[in-house]
This record gives sequence, structure tokens and C-alpha cells, in this order.
Amino acid sequence: MLKKEETVLFKKHNIENYSKIKIEEIQNIKKINLRFDPNSKELKSITSKILDIIIPTIPNTYSEKEKQKIIWLGPNEWLIIDSEEKLDDDLLNKSLGDENASVTNISESKTILRISGKKTFSLLSKFLVLDLEKNLSNDHLCVQTIFLKVPILLVRNKNFDNIIEIDIFINRSHVNYIYNILIDGTKNLDF
Amino acid sequence: MFLINCPYCGERDQIEFTCGGEAHIIRPKNPPDLSDDQWADYLFMRKNIKGVQFERWNHSNGCRRWFNVVRNTATDEIIKIYNMGESSPTIKGNEPKTPSGEPKIGSGNISTTFEKK
Ligand SMILES: [Zn+2]
Repeated sequence: MLKKEETVLFKKHNIENYSKIKIEEIQNIKKINLRFDPNSKELKSITSKILDIIIPTIPNTYSEKEKQKIIWLGPNEWLIIDSEEKLDDDLLNKSLGDENASVTNISESKTILRISGKKTFSLLSKFLVLDLEKNLSNDHLCVQTIFLKVPILLVRNKNFDNIIEIDIFINRSHVNYIYNILIDGTKNLDF
Repeated sequence: MFLINCPYCGERDQIEFTCGGEAHIIRPKNPPDLSDDQWADYLFMRKNIKGVQFERWNHSNGCRRWFNVVRNTATDEIIKIYNMGESSPTIKGNEPKTPSGEPKIGSGNISTTFEKK
């Protein structure tokens, strides 16, 4: 098993268009998969008490508070990410008890590649079948799709200085494959 | 590009989806009571229509939800999308368009007014 400190990839690559695009891996972020029936008022009140963030019900959006995000994955499924690792998933798990709900810590199975820069959409659109301008038109939007053959989750972060920043959530076993393809893709971005 | 309108995510490319075959096939309540032929009929026999067909689809590389689709298998025209658990809609006055306008008779296209068993 991989230890948390071990990086899946990282050798420093020289990206030719470094001024226009930046790719980095974001590590040590807690990721919890949460599933429950949103029609159950009881479960909703338990989870919202512990999490203290609104659980998004609009498809392909996320809500954010300080260092935590809750990302919509489906009408009864969410991904909680916590960069300060403060969230107590054991407490959440115990509070939901035997109810029809599940709390799964997937921190070790998924990793995040963060792409930022002016050419972010140009780079990603080479490999996706998705209309990025439509599906990730502004922050607080996220989208699940496939990158060539690999299932991914794209999350658009808040803009700083009009620079687009996208987090790609991928299985650890796929990250080298995707990273190498992205690096290849940066080589002719000036079209 | 063949787009499918997921009830949750909106229009997405077909490669994000998986077709789950014919819709509205009900599992028999008490399988041991059935003859082998009846059980085989439930398990294997599918209509495979050239024309308007009721199908289940899954947004497998998106929100992973199931939903029903009324699709013309000859032209890939999607006539209606509706939720799981809803009964099949009646599709009226919508003769399946043929890919190159070939006549209805002899081209293997069937009318949409077929009756479901
Ligand atoms: Zn969907």
C-alpha cells in the first residue's frame, strides 16, 4: 500500500509553455465519499450538523466553506474534500449509524492534479468530449466525465486574477498516464 | 457527435453512457414456478427493433444514474427521456424516420404503434 507521504509521480518536468500552463499534484487532502437519501430529513440534519456546509443538491455544483468542499456526484452521493484534514469521518460514520447511508474514506485511492493558466481549457479540450466553456463556465461548477478512457472529476476553483484553475480527481493508478499525456499536450498549445 | 440528455447532467457525449438494453422487462415474481422456456424468455429474449425502442441507459462515466430512453435505433433519434419507475410513454404520430428515406415496407422498419406484451 502507498504511504501518504509517497508521491505517485513527481519528477519535475520542463513544460515549454510554463507561463501559460502549470500542472501540479495536490497531496494530503482528505477525501470522503458520502452517500445517503437526501429525502430523509433525519439524515440530512445529522450530516449538515457535523459538516456545517450546505450539501449541494443542484447537479454538477459544489459548496465551499473555508478549506472544505462538498462536491455533487449524484442525487444521493457527494465527495467531501478537506485540505486541513479536520473533518472527523469516524464521527460522521458513527452518527449515521445503521441508517441507510455510507461514509467511505477514499483519500488514499484518489489524487488531485491541479491545472492552471490561460491555456487550461485549450489543453484539456484536446482529450475531453465535454464542452468546457459550458460545463465549467464559472467557479462552483464541477463535472464528471472521461479523459480518453479514464473516469475523472473536474472541479473549477475560484478564479484569482482571471486565471482558470481546475482540479482533476483521478484514481492514483491512472495519474501517471494522465500526467504524461497532459505534458505531451502542452507541447503545441499555440494554435 | 451523438448527444444524450442525462436527466441530471444535461447534454453529454454518448461515450459517457452505457446502454442497458430493453426497458420495462419485469422479473417474474416466483421464478421456481416458471418452465425453462418461460425463464429463458425472461432472461434472453429481447425485441431488438429497427425503429422506436424503449431502452435503459446509464450515465456510467458521469453521475452513474439509470434512466429510460425512447430511441429510434435506425436513426439514433432520441424521442423521449424519462425516469426509472415511470411507465412507458405512448409514442404517437411518430413514424420512425429511415436513415435515407427508404420506404417503410421492406426496409425492416416497424411502426411505432406496435403493442407491448
Ligand atoms: Zn448524468
